[in-house]
Amino acid sequence: MVTFSQWLRGNSERYLLESAQAEMARRYLNRPGPPAEPGLGPLFWRRVFVPVYPRLPWRLRRAVIQALPGSHRRSWQAREPSRRPPV
Amino acid sequence: MPPRIVVVGGGAAGIGAAGSARQVDPDARITVYTEYEDAAYSPCGIPYVHGREIPDFQSLFLQGKEAYRQAGIDIHYERRVTGLDLGDRLVHVDGEASVPFDRLVVASGFEYADPGVPGTDLEGLYYVKNIRRAIEWDKVLDDVRVAVVLDASPLGLEMVTALAHRGIETHVVDAHPWALAEVADPDIMQPVEESWAELGVKTHFNTRVEALVGDGKVRAVRTSEGELPANIVVVYVPWGMVAGKWMIGGASFGETLATALGIPFVMGTAEGISRARYYPGVKKVRVKLLAEPGSLRLIGGQLVGQEGIKERADFLAMAIRMGVTLEDLAWMENVYSPPIGALNEPMAVAAQNGLASVRG
Repeated sequence: MVTFSQWLRGNSERYLLESAQAEMARRYLNRPGPPAEPGLGPLFWRRVFVPVYPRLPWRLRRAVIQALPGSHRRSWQAREPSRRPPV
Repeated sequence: MPPRIVVVGGGAAGIGAAGSARQVDPDARITVYTEYEDAAYSPCGIPYVHGREIPDFQSLFLQGKEAYRQAGIDIHYERRVTGLDLGDRLVHVDGEASVPFDRLVVASGFEYADPGVPGTDLEGLYYVKNIRRAIEWDKVLDDVRVAVVLDASPLGLEMVTALAHRGIETHVVDAHPWALAEVADPDIMQPVEESWAELGVKTHFNTRVEALVGDGKVRAVRTSEGELPANIVVVYVPWGMVAGKWMIGGASFGETLATALGIPFVMGTAEGISRARYYPGVKKVRVKLLAEPGSLRLIGGQLVGQEGIKERADFLAMAIRMGVTLEDLAWMENVYSPPIGALNEPMAVAAQNGLASVRG
């Protein structure tokens, strides 16, 4: 059973990555991006979500990313920075 | 009463956990369950045996079964764990009574994803994982003329190169515009594509698999760009980062992922060399670093080259974890010795270029 947040993460990750890959492929390889998948769902993600996402404030995007499930929520153990020489 | 430790999975993680537990507590009762006939071998090495870089499959085993018995690690082979009861602290195992535990380690590894296209029930689909099946497949490969690898992900790169080394006409079909597109940038992967071309590998990027075609046995892969004949189809293989003559390494994410997420970044790139320019065997090393604007803390690094990649990737992973900045990296100390290190460390040059781009 896929939860709403898993569904959101899965789709947003997929279509944002697809768009970025298309941009990188044009820039570095002079090659087109992946062919567009037909259907209304993919059309929404490509034509609405992908262009709107980068216009949202970074703080909001960051908050949403942090709230979504995934390994990114497990961080390294915090530690005190130590800049003094060992001896 | 010594603790009862149950480990689910007999791969590197499971056996590693069992060995560590034995070191920490010599009295612990350690039981490992694996669904396979063997334990503690390196599935990542399988493609190299297929490619004839490693002479035999026996080399892939860490130790024989007797060594684990002597170490007091009780491995139950061909036993599938079917359920975990965390409340009552029981492991349910096919063919055995429920097993109680005090500590449980789940190291069950990966499972193959269904490619989601018609024809996955055909014969001739090679799912690389189990060493006994790999030994059987190795004999089959002697008669294979054409192979198609689905997905140039980290899981497929080693196998593409191995099959090409074996003299098999190898096609790789991937829906993305370049190999390893979910984790690496195209400029990092470009040398790999060139190397594959030298080996005769035929790449089909931006191409979707629509069906596996055959009558009982696979004979072709139908894609969005047409049909590719195939004697075998490699669906997915374990993690691999050597492709053609190139090694790829990295830490955290690259330009593609940062662009996708809309994370701002500063970038520094450099193409350096692995040894003194005049020393025989010198190789190119391409470095790409990403840093957080403002603090200039490193957030990602990628490398491609023919030597010294693994060590630099390890170093970058630690550097990111420790919050190292482009400034730190630009003026880092590095070994200079003609056979092993160039005067200008490529990572330092990339960091210097990153700083220059920030400061105009």
